[in-house]
This record gives sequence, C-alpha cells and structure tokens, in this order.
Amino acid sequence: MFTKSTIENTGAQAFCDLIQEPKSANPYLPERARIVRKFDLTRDVRFFQVRLCDPEKVMCWTTSYKPGQFMMLSLPNVGEAPFSITSTPTRPGLFEFCIRKVGRLTSKLFELKENDFVWLRGPFGNGFPVERMYGKDLLFVAGGLGVAPLRSVLLYALDYRDRFGRIFYLYGAKTPDEMLFREEFFRMKERDDFECYLTVDADPTGLWPFDIGVVTTLFKYVKVDGRNTVAIVCGPPVMYKYVVEEFLKLNIPEDQIFMTLERRMKCGMGKCGQCVVEHKYTCVDGPVFTLWDVKNIRTLI
Amino acid sequence: MKRIAKSKLIEFLKSKGELWVKTREGFQQSDAEAFAGRASKSVKNMVLPREETLLVFFKPDGKNVDYDEIYDDRKRILFGLSPCDAKSIELLDLTFIKTSPTDSYYKQRRENSVLVVLACNSPSKTCFCKSFGYGPFTELGDVFLVDIGDVYLVKILSDKGKALLEGLELEDAADAELAKLEELKSTAESKVQDIGIPKDIADRLYANFESDFWEKIAFRCVNCGACTFYCPTCYCFDIQDVERTNWGWRERTWDSCMFAIYSLETSGHNPRPTGMHRMRNRIMHKFSYYEKIHGQHLCVGCGRCVDVCPTGFDIREVVKQAAKLEVTR
Repeated sequence: MFTKSTIENTGAQAFCDLIQEPKSANPYLPERARIVRKFDLTRDVRFFQVRLCDPEKVMCWTTSYKPGQFMMLSLPNVGEAPFSITSTPTRPGLFEFCIRKVGRLTSKLFELKENDFVWLRGPFGNGFPVERMYGKDLLFVAGGLGVAPLRSVLLYALDYRDRFGRIFYLYGAKTPDEMLFREEFFRMKERDDFECYLTVDADPTGLWPFDIGVVTTLFKYVKVDGRNTVAIVCGPPVMYKYVVEEFLKLNIPEDQIFMTLERRMKCGMGKCGQCVVEHKYTCVDGPVFTLWDVKNIRTLI
Repeated sequence: MKRIAKSKLIEFLKSKGELWVKTREGFQQSDAEAFAGRASKSVKNMVLPREETLLVFFKPDGKNVDYDEIYDDRKRILFGLSPCDAKSIELLDLTFIKTSPTDSYYKQRRENSVLVVLACNSPSKTCFCKSFGYGPFTELGDVFLVDIGDVYLVKILSDKGKALLEGLELEDAADAELAKLEELKSTAESKVQDIGIPKDIADRLYANFESDFWEKIAFRCVNCGACTFYCPTCYCFDIQDVERTNWGWRERTWDSCMFAIYSLETSGHNPRPTGMHRMRNRIMHKFSYYEKIHGQHLCVGCGRCVDVCPTGFDIREVVKQAAKLEVTR
C-alpha cells in the first residue's frame, strides 16, 4: 500500500528510506493500533488519537499519507468503516480521527477507553493535491463534521506556511455547542498568519462572540484574487450548492475548487463496487474531487 | 487437436488433484462426466465464493486479540467450464488481479485453479455470447476440450494446462473426429444469438443518462438481486464481521447493487435512492463504465440473468432498445 510515489510531496522525503515492503501482501489485513487519547468534541463527536502498536511502522505510516485521505478503522466482531484522517503528515507519530456516534461501529468505538486497541487499514483515496496549491491563496469552507478532513490540510498548510499565499478559514456549525475543535480555533484566530472566521446558525447561549448565520455570510471577509485561489469545501450535501456559488462569484476556476465526498465503502481499493460513481471509485479516484469532476461525473453530488 | 477417451481423461484428472466437475447445476466435487453446456451456477462460485473468510480473530481474555489471515490453498481442477465461464474469469481478473492492489484472496484461488474448458455443445435459448466476439467453441482456458461422444478432443493452451496433462498419452485426432467437431461447432453457433451490440453503446447510454428510458426498463424490476448473484461477472461484495463468544471472523460475501441498502450511508443519505438509479447503475456498469476503465463490456452473454429473473427482465432487450436510443449530444 505504501509506495514511494504516495509519499512524495507530503514533505516526508526523509522517511522514504524507512518504507519497508509490507510483510504481507494482503490488502485486507489491518494493523493494530492503540488509542492514546480521546476526548469529546461535542455531545456526539469524539476525538481519537491512535498510535500503531508496531514501532517500526509508526513513522512511515504517519508521514506517508496525504491530507484528505481516509483509513478503514475496524473492531473485531463489529466491522469496518472509512474515516477521514484529521491529523497532518507534518506532525507524525499519531493518527487522529474525529468520529460521530451514528451507527453500530461508532457506538462500540465510543465504549472504548484509552489504551484499548483499534485496527487500521490504509490510507486510501487520492487526498488533496497539496503540491498544486503551492503559491496560491487558500480558502477553506467547512460545515459541521466537514471540518475533519479539512483540518488535515489546514494544519499542513500552516506547517508549510511559506509555500502558500493568504489563508482563509471559514467554519459554520449549528450552535456553539456543536462546533468541533472550538477551543483550538479560538486560539487559532489569534494567529497573525491566517484568517479564521467562525459562525453559528443559532446561539441559544447568547454568549457567542462571533458571527451568527449560515457559513456563506462569512464570505464578506474574504478578499482574494480568485484566479490564484484554491477553494476547499466539505460539509453536509445541502451546503455545497450555496458555497460553490460564492466561490464562482469570487472567480475561482472550477478545477481549483476541491470538495471531499462520502460514500459507503467496504474495501477501499476499488474492488467491492460499493462506492462507485459512474466509472469512478470514490475510494480510489476520490474522495477529493474538483468542481470540474462534479460537473462531468453525474450523481457525484 | 489431440484425442482421448472420456473415462481415461477423468481417471487421469482425478489422480492429479481435487476435481470439480461442472454439472447442470454448477461445480461439484465428483467424477461424473462434465455437462457440455451452460450450468445454472457460474464459475464465479469457485473463484469468488458466495461467502469467504478473510481474517479470523481470537480473544481468549478479551484483550489479546489480533487478526490472522485465512487462505484457501486447495488446488483445484475446474473441469468443464463453458467458454462463457472462462471469459468471465478473464473479466474478473481485470479487476482483482490486474488492477493494483491485487486482491490476494482472489489471486490465490485463481492461481490454484486449472481451467479445463469444455466447448458448449448445447447453448441455451437465452445465450448471446456471439455478441461479444467469441462463441461456444472459442478456445479459452488452460486446456480446451470438445465433447464429441465417447471421446474428448484436447488442445493445451497454457503452461498450466501442459503441467496438468503431463504424463497423459494423447493420440492424434482422426479426420472424422475433426469433421464432427466442425459439425458440432456450426450447430452450436447457429443456436446462439448475436444481438448486435452497437460499437458506441457506451457513449449511447452515457448520452442518455437522464432519459426516461431508465424509468421504463426499471419498471418491471423488483430489485431481488437474482441477476447479480447468477451473473458470472458481477463481483460487488460486502465485508462483515461474524461474532462468536470469544472469537469471530471477517467474511466477504456477495452483495448486489440492486439492493436499496447497498449504497445507503449511515447518515441516511442514499446516492442511488430508487430502483431506476440502481438499474441504471447496473446496466451502465456492464455496458459503459467497465469499458471506460478496462476496455471491455462486463457481460459475457451467458443469459443466466434472463433465465433467473422472476419478472422476465431481459438484458438483451435492453441492449436492443439502447441501440435505438438517440445520441443527442
């Protein structure tokens, strides 16, 4: 699964030599990992930090993925499901996941404690083409749980800050309680090198100090040169249409608008057919697509 | 072409390993004569079984659990595949072996199987293999046989086939037998339809993606999934964990794109919410998408889906109707 080509451009060249041929050529065999930290981000979303148990694999696995890729996380007797990696390969050692409790597997995951095991397979998917974003302004728009894959590429951009132009980060949640990584973003707002704007749809607490309204209201703060901007959006399906309209108003080219999508997946390698959209497999050709792809591959959104 | 007495070949193959013979129903472990026609269950059952254990896990104390791989390393001789079965294996190879990463489970089964193909003397009424550029007597597999009565005519096509028949004395076929072969061949080929698949069917279907054609053809479908399970080229699968008290296993099972829950996400969003969407995906996958990826249709024209459909859905009719669709772009 790991080849030198997959880790190029992730800033992990130093670890290229550490990559070993996988002992087993079985792409279905997961690797054991340990939950080293977990805490609740909101009422039903929990943050997991996991570390592979095999010390030889820790560094090459955690440096060789691309922001926007996902992993198949599994528990014996329960099953396997795809989750976005929310950490960045520039901060190796751990994999981070941001998981909402919705189904059978995630309910079992929420019962786990620190030091319990989970199993990982991957990473899968194309990830964000970060090298294509060098020298450009970045505009992130996240809604709800959509922050999970975007945090990966945001942290990547902040770690290689000199390679990018201006960075805007717009994040909308339903209420202040539902905002993921709330405190992390509060602190990030104080940074000088990028602009972070947060909004909530409604504020029952009455204490929210920032904007109130849907995420598109934050576009008033965005001052970018559209032609030289890469826009990245992830959120609930209803959000895409309105956000994309705003992107186009800013004159951002269609092949510089990236979105990451979800599908039901079982293998992650373009075999099982579950995630197929036209002749594309979301797990191999996605989950990151450009607006150009979306317009040409019907039923993608 | 060489010749050998039927009983002699079967005796020999039995001595060579685990012999699976194609009967009318499908592949069975026996020493009977192979059925020289299309079995009701395809060879998919042998290379991509309905249920297959991928991994096992034991947790005696609930903590020390890890996965172990389970492989089926039995070497099998698949005796009597029809050419359509052999063709379907070629198509499955494209996805499971030739597309990276290789599916290790499929590859293991595939490498451990020797394909002894038997020409199809009695095609069914629903057969339309000729439409795909091959026929009931096309030489495929590792060893190719023709049933001409008491004798099999034999042709070795690969090293694997050569190794299988190592030590078997084959005689040269007589002229009369070769004439019989030609006779059987023309009879069989005359029974098979050529439905005339247009060269541009992929684009034709693609251009009519939003057409009401799909609503019309999906109307009689009840989404039972029988067609996909009998289809020798439908490979979609599901992976499930099976739980026992202190152990369990991860299992791969067939899945069907005709089921509503197939594409249903946990969030409740379903990218293919209606029968029309599912039918469109199945037909387009067979005649449009697969060609875009691998350059071949994902159909071998065996006609099993036509035979098993409880509502008489006929894929041949769909293709014929699609040939009449207008290309508006």
